[in-house]
Amino acid sequence: MTTLQARFRLTPSATLIICIIFLNALSLISLYSSLHQGGKFEQYSVFYRQVVWIALAWIFLIIFSFINYRLYYDLSFIIYGLNIILLLWVLVFGKEAMGAQRWIRFLGFNFQPSELSKITTILILARFFASERIRRSFRKDVLLPLGLVVFNALLIFKQPDLGTALILFVLFFLMGIFSRLPKKYFILLLIAGLALAPIGWKFLKDYQKKRLIVFIDPNVDPLGAGYTIIQSKIAIGSGEIFGKGFLSGTQNQFNFLPERHTDFIFTVIAEEWGFMGSLFLLFIYWLILKKILDLAKDSHDRFARQVLIGMSALFFAHIFINIGMTLGILPVVGLPLIFLSYGGSNLLINFILAGIIINIARST
Amino acid sequence: MDQSFVRRIYLSGFLVLVISLFYYQALKGNYFLKRAEHNYVRAIPIRSLRGSILDRNSVLLAYDKASFNIAVIPHQIRKKKDILFKQLAEFLSYDEKIIQANYKRSFSNLFSPVDVIIDIDKAQALEAKEYFSGDILINPQPQRHYNFSYECAHILGYVKEAASFYENLKKYGYAPNERAGFSGIEQYYDAYLKGEDGGDLIEVDSSGKIVGFLGERKAFGGEDIKLTIDSRIQEIAYKALEGRRGTLILMDAQSGEVLALISSPSFDSNAFVRGKNVARFLMDKKRPLLNRAIQSSYPLGSTFKPIVAAAALEEGRSAPEKKFTCRGRLTLGRATFECWATHGPDDLYEAFAHSCNVYFYNLGMVTGPEFIGKWAQKFGLNVATGIDLPYERKGFVPTPEWKRKRLKTAWYGGDTLNLSIGQGFLEATPLEALVAINAIATDGYLVKPYLIKEMNKVEASAITKSFVGISKESIDEIKHGLRAAVEFSDGTAYELNRLNLEIAGKTGTAQTKGLSHGWFVGFFPYAKPKYAFCVFAENCGSSSVAVDISYQFLRWLQNKNLIEK
Repeated sequence: MTTLQARFRLTPSATLIICIIFLNALSLISLYSSLHQGGKFEQYSVFYRQVVWIALAWIFLIIFSFINYRLYYDLSFIIYGLNIILLLWVLVFGKEAMGAQRWIRFLGFNFQPSELSKITTILILARFFASERIRRSFRKDVLLPLGLVVFNALLIFKQPDLGTALILFVLFFLMGIFSRLPKKYFILLLIAGLALAPIGWKFLKDYQKKRLIVFIDPNVDPLGAGYTIIQSKIAIGSGEIFGKGFLSGTQNQFNFLPERHTDFIFTVIAEEWGFMGSLFLLFIYWLILKKILDLAKDSHDRFARQVLIGMSALFFAHIFINIGMTLGILPVVGLPLIFLSYGGSNLLINFILAGIIINIARST
Repeated sequence: MDQSFVRRIYLSGFLVLVISLFYYQALKGNYFLKRAEHNYVRAIPIRSLRGSILDRNSVLLAYDKASFNIAVIPHQIRKKKDILFKQLAEFLSYDEKIIQANYKRSFSNLFSPVDVIIDIDKAQALEAKEYFSGDILINPQPQRHYNFSYECAHILGYVKEAASFYENLKKYGYAPNERAGFSGIEQYYDAYLKGEDGGDLIEVDSSGKIVGFLGERKAFGGEDIKLTIDSRIQEIAYKALEGRRGTLILMDAQSGEVLALISSPSFDSNAFVRGKNVARFLMDKKRPLLNRAIQSSYPLGSTFKPIVAAAALEEGRSAPEKKFTCRGRLTLGRATFECWATHGPDDLYEAFAHSCNVYFYNLGMVTGPEFIGKWAQKFGLNVATGIDLPYERKGFVPTPEWKRKRLKTAWYGGDTLNLSIGQGFLEATPLEALVAINAIATDGYLVKPYLIKEMNKVEASAITKSFVGISKESIDEIKHGLRAAVEFSDGTAYELNRLNLEIAGKTGTAQTKGLSHGWFVGFFPYAKPKYAFCVFAENCGSSSVAVDISYQFLRWLQNKNLIEK
């Protein structure tokens, strides 16, 4: 058994690549299904655009797998600065869609700089938390990076994109707790943050408040904000153990699910492939997270470990929050499901992260 | 802090997801599957066309016409419901509150059309559709319409949404506005008239657009019913009553076909179909909803006298030639019983002509209450006639035995005298009175009155007669007496002789609380009776009012050539 395992054991990079290929396939299958309406395939352009995005993303993965990750340690402040400039650019000149100003056009594609913030935040936090200095100070090593994160998050929150802004804080706390800095700093900050949360309520947009209220009770507004959650729960539940089958999800096919090819792609998968399908998908995701954590364990470079933990935290947060919101156990904050949701920016970021991971694996 | 702590955080997160998924998909999967099916499968009811109701000459009395409703799909208008309703109300000058109320009442789920505006005309509906286009649907629905909505209201009844049955019908995919007949022919023959509602089982998408067809059940129209009623006679009868409280019935004497049946005052059956402005009928102290011909019994007064005579003659207690002298009153013990005039010595014919109470007091005394009661029952006054209308009541014939048992007092001589002139405890519906007197016209047969002539073009009438068990001799004597009441120049209904219809009949002034009721029950032509009719006027004071109404009614019929020779 052990020999057999040893013979077929794949390197973490190979596992990662196989998982991503599987997710690409599932993404296209689900996208095809979600664009299939009443027995007819519609919106070819959306489907083909995603094919192009995936191809482009693979090129990025390959490029980044060859860039030495240590470069980011040196460039982290510059990258952070560039990202801030892009975010300011979006706020001033950005393209508005669906009530939010998130996109800039780039080579014919729409791109969201807020997605880029996820990488820059991981890099800059890794740089701070992996510092070799013996004497650690709360101000320099905790409050300063927090300040940078808050500034970045504020710009994103302004767009407004509550989900991504919150993700940055998740990264801060998970990476912080993993670092060698005293845990109590982060725990105290977390408590302080939660205590201040009610004040933050004032700054939320009406639709964001509504989403949070509806999260507590979807039946408050079954025609409006609660509608998506109710329909999503019906779709997931009605998939039962083995699912309704490919192209047979009635909730999906009869157009009862809004935003189903973006934030609610999991609903389509759960409806058509059932509990077994959902479980298998979670297994694939778990495999990805586990491989990243294994790499972090084996890596001797503290910066690499911080980066890997940050990436795994980012992936985990996306998976947990996205699936949680389709199940109605978390509020609808509009986070895509990694490697699956339609949309180029997030896909690109995920592939870049995978490229960096592969590069770290190669260097270990 | 090593990565195993982070791993544990991730693991617990995944565990939460797996447990939730297990709960939704494995444990509650079936529940959500049903909800999903409910989401996209719709049963769209298709109303069957209710059978039409025609009069004997195939004039339409009741039929279904298309009415146009405006419907909305809740999910589709969820963001602009209030604005849309406001605009609709303005556009169609409709009450916005009614729109909101209709919406609330008929809402079943997010994707089924809800009728918010009911019964507007086609042009308006099309205009609205053009203006609001995708936001509204035009939903044509059959609506009952009555051509003689007041004249035939009591005969036909009306059709209404059976909201109270909704709980039972809901599981078959029907809307709460399923129609059912209420009172009259609509209720009595509801099972034949209503037909069978059908429906389409369809798949819809979230906007309510039909995307697939799963199956259908065809709607079957109801049966058409042709009545014995003549709408022209019905109109004239309604007019003759002039809206006063009372009833007028014209019947084929030999077959029992009811040619006209009016209860007055009447109500607007079309108003009840729409459920609008009905409070004025429900609150009216004159009780327009009551069908006075069959649903209320009254003292018969002198119209009962032919039956007293039948009892006396058949039981051999008196002879037609026997005279009793009227001195204006009759004293029994300490009590005095009045006659309405002083008639002197009268034989049976004169007594009928003058409607002499003293003669019938004496006749009643020699006959006795048991025999009078027996013959009243033989003439059917204590059983309903069996006409094909719902809620018919029956009269009451008192007997000494009944009085002993129920009122715990003895039957006195005064009770007999009262009974002899149709007063006291005796009561009958106007239709029962007509059938009883008509038995004189038919040589002793009680004819069952009926309203249905044809069902779906197939003869449905059935003449039902039962023999009273009376001799031809007695019949002829009484018939002669009834003719005398019209023919004798001092007869109580001499006015009717001017019509040259050879009418025979009996007037009645029935004392009651307040003013007396007026009666005239008769038949014609005397030699070979073809028609029997009954006029009853509630609290009008005297029988002369009933005679006047009869005269007016028959004269108008003559003028319109509606009386067959």
